[in-house]
Amino acid sequence: MRNTIKSRLLAGTTLIAAGFLSNAVVAQEVTIAFPADELGATSYNPVTSNNLNSAASLIYDRLIEQDADQSYHPHLATSWEESTDGMSWTFHLKDGVTFHDGSPFNAQSVADWIPDFADTENAYLVAAVASVEVIDNLTVKFVMSRPEPSLLYNLASTFMGVPGAAAFDSMGDDFGVSGAVGTGPFKLDSFAIGLETVLVRNDDYAWASDLSENQGAAHIGKITFREVPDQSTAFLELKTGGIDLLLGVPTPFLEILKAESNVAVIQMPGTGINYMPINVTSAPFDDIKVREATGLAINQEAIVASIYNGVGAPAHNFLISSLPEADVDPALNVSFDLDRAKMLLDEAGWMMGDGAVRSKDGVPLSVKLFTQNGEEFTSLTQVVQAQLADIGMEAVITVFDSSTIRDEYKNNRHQLAVRGYDWNNSDILDWFFSGKRLGYPNVSMWEDAEGQRLNDVAMEDSTNSDERIANFKAYHEYVLSQHLFVPIYQPTKNIAYNSDRLSVPDPVRGTRFRSQTVLDMAVVE
Amino acid sequence: MLLRYIFFRALMLIPVSISISVVIFLIVHLLPGDPIDNLIRVGSSTEDRKTLVLKYGLDQPLAVQYFRWIGAIFQGDFGEAIVLRRPVADLIAQNLPYSLRLGGAAFAFSSIAGITLGTISATTRSAIVEIIMRGFILLGSTVPGFWLALLMILFFAVQLQWFPVSGAKGWSSLVLPVLTIGFGGVALVARVTRVALLDVRREDFVTLLHAKGLPSRTILFRHLMPHAMLPVVTILALRIGWILGGAVTVEFVFGRPGLGSLLIRAIGQRDYPVVQGCLLMLALAVMLGTLIGDVAQAAMDPRIRETKK
Repeated sequence: MRNTIKSRLLAGTTLIAAGFLSNAVVAQEVTIAFPADELGATSYNPVTSNNLNSAASLIYDRLIEQDADQSYHPHLATSWEESTDGMSWTFHLKDGVTFHDGSPFNAQSVADWIPDFADTENAYLVAAVASVEVIDNLTVKFVMSRPEPSLLYNLASTFMGVPGAAAFDSMGDDFGVSGAVGTGPFKLDSFAIGLETVLVRNDDYAWASDLSENQGAAHIGKITFREVPDQSTAFLELKTGGIDLLLGVPTPFLEILKAESNVAVIQMPGTGINYMPINVTSAPFDDIKVREATGLAINQEAIVASIYNGVGAPAHNFLISSLPEADVDPALNVSFDLDRAKMLLDEAGWMMGDGAVRSKDGVPLSVKLFTQNGEEFTSLTQVVQAQLADIGMEAVITVFDSSTIRDEYKNNRHQLAVRGYDWNNSDILDWFFSGKRLGYPNVSMWEDAEGQRLNDVAMEDSTNSDERIANFKAYHEYVLSQHLFVPIYQPTKNIAYNSDRLSVPDPVRGTRFRSQTVLDMAVVE
Repeated sequence: MLLRYIFFRALMLIPVSISISVVIFLIVHLLPGDPIDNLIRVGSSTEDRKTLVLKYGLDQPLAVQYFRWIGAIFQGDFGEAIVLRRPVADLIAQNLPYSLRLGGAAFAFSSIAGITLGTISATTRSAIVEIIMRGFILLGSTVPGFWLALLMILFFAVQLQWFPVSGAKGWSSLVLPVLTIGFGGVALVARVTRVALLDVRREDFVTLLHAKGLPSRTILFRHLMPHAMLPVVTILALRIGWILGGAVTVEFVFGRPGLGSLLIRAIGQRDYPVVQGCLLMLALAVMLGTLIGDVAQAAMDPRIRETKK
């Protein structure tokens, strides 16, 4: 009771205070919780870090931005040209951009920055760039050692946010930890590793990309990004007003959140696939008919409806639908067909006896089904197990932690596995199916001369993006024809926010929750 | 006499620490999986992977890797985290204050409240107090931490809104985690105190003191407590090491940084130098705690100094 009186008094005081102070001063502070996959970042140094979170995208701007439909948009680079042989790229830079320390952004900033990647784990992003030439104050030319059709994709990555060269050099290992300098709409105010990151508005900001309506400084004055590892706690924080916006809400949580009157939910198209790789070296999966039958047994639509309440989309091939390389010959897409699955197993000699499990030469059709711990995969794996039982395949589930399961793959102890990836570029095909990476990431253990040839063509011989799309599509189609995996689900990225306090643009522009969205967000109370 | 005892006990820590460092190193390196897979991203080549393995010396025999690590430790260098990309000493230094604050407050709370409750429970003759105490002790020893944490949040943070739901800013964010961790500690300390007091009370000298007509209060504080505190100090000393790393679930639920959380994250990513550094710290804390406990006991009980000399 005393508490109620106290909170009423407090609320009254706040109202009076709000009357005196301008609304913009008291209310433009927002608290955001990082998604689970962005926890534990130890630095905001985009060049050397291997884990950058959403806050990094607000401190640094990129030359180029990518939208949810995977199209590229100008940002610090206003336009660009690629030479016909793919051996050079010219970027025209935006005028009037300044870093947080007041120094100007120009062609020299880019020329100083690219060589910083040498000998870092992010060096692969610019591995094809032989040198950077300053043409004039606002024009820069990348001279390539080989064509790099992924250059624009790489430039739109958070890791290619442009740091201020002077601060980068003078701060050394402390850059991104005790301070950071970029051109972004927010400045790093404080960073407590594992706890929170506080950003304050860059009042001079006037160079947003066309993905934002607001082209000036952000409406929000201060953002506190918090690390809240437990989803239940994060939900209670949202409910009680301790946190205004949650990133990366697990899809099964959405129903609970939608029931709250002050909570709104936005679903962004995801950038990954959940799938089941098949180890082609392990009997009975060395028989392509058994592999195909396994794929036909999985009912993607039923999984989306039952586990994910219809949120997200079924996956029928290896790439997210917004990539052009996902648009393959429809006959190659993998879809549920129970009768054909049973027929293929009969043809392969796996016959249904009296029991529920098929057998061949007295050997039952019993296989290992691995997955990693975490709610995300365990319930999905159980449904997959049940669907495999419908074709007479007994799948025995084992759950591992994420590091141990990779060891199992490398030692070739697996048969089927339920897993996922998050990557919106078709070179993911090379990552998971190249014969050079058997075990892990090539969990399918697939080595094939024609496959490697198509891989090499796609990875190395494409000179421009159209050629690259055609080459990767051919590779993708060949991979599909070999039945190396079963596509299952395309998750969405979910955002939940306190609708009494915030307005958030819907749909969210871009492949992730980044500066273009934050610029258009505002406090409404 | 006591100083000599402390000196020899401290000297013993050196061989023990070295043996523990070998065990820690082996456990960490024999876990399946390796840190490089948590470091590389899509797009990097197989050559990049090999370069990283060489860079961190993971291709070397385990013995070589061990001596490199322990040699650097003797020079005060805990090494560089592989996945977390910061000096291990920095990571520990950043997380240690949170652990100390939470663990220290929980330790103080469980010691004071536990001894008080245990004493009340042992000395009160009321059956109702007895039943309540025993119920509390049973609950405190058995309720799982994460469940209690969520209950605490629901009641004190969501319903009453007295404290923040989570975080590590200011004293108010410390209350619920301390209560959560302390709850089990209070029950444990109360139980040990109660049993010890009841045991001592049955001794002949206590009957004599009563016969001499000393007031009960004097008997309790002057004569019973010093005897009964011996097992309590042992229990408390063992919990000193646990202060630093024992709060993983509570850190997770309340969104607090800390050594426990750092360790769990590092184990998940097989970040060898971080796991080794954290485990070594925790082992040292446990050993120091035991040493402090032994010394305190020796100071309190001359018989221990004599027999262990």
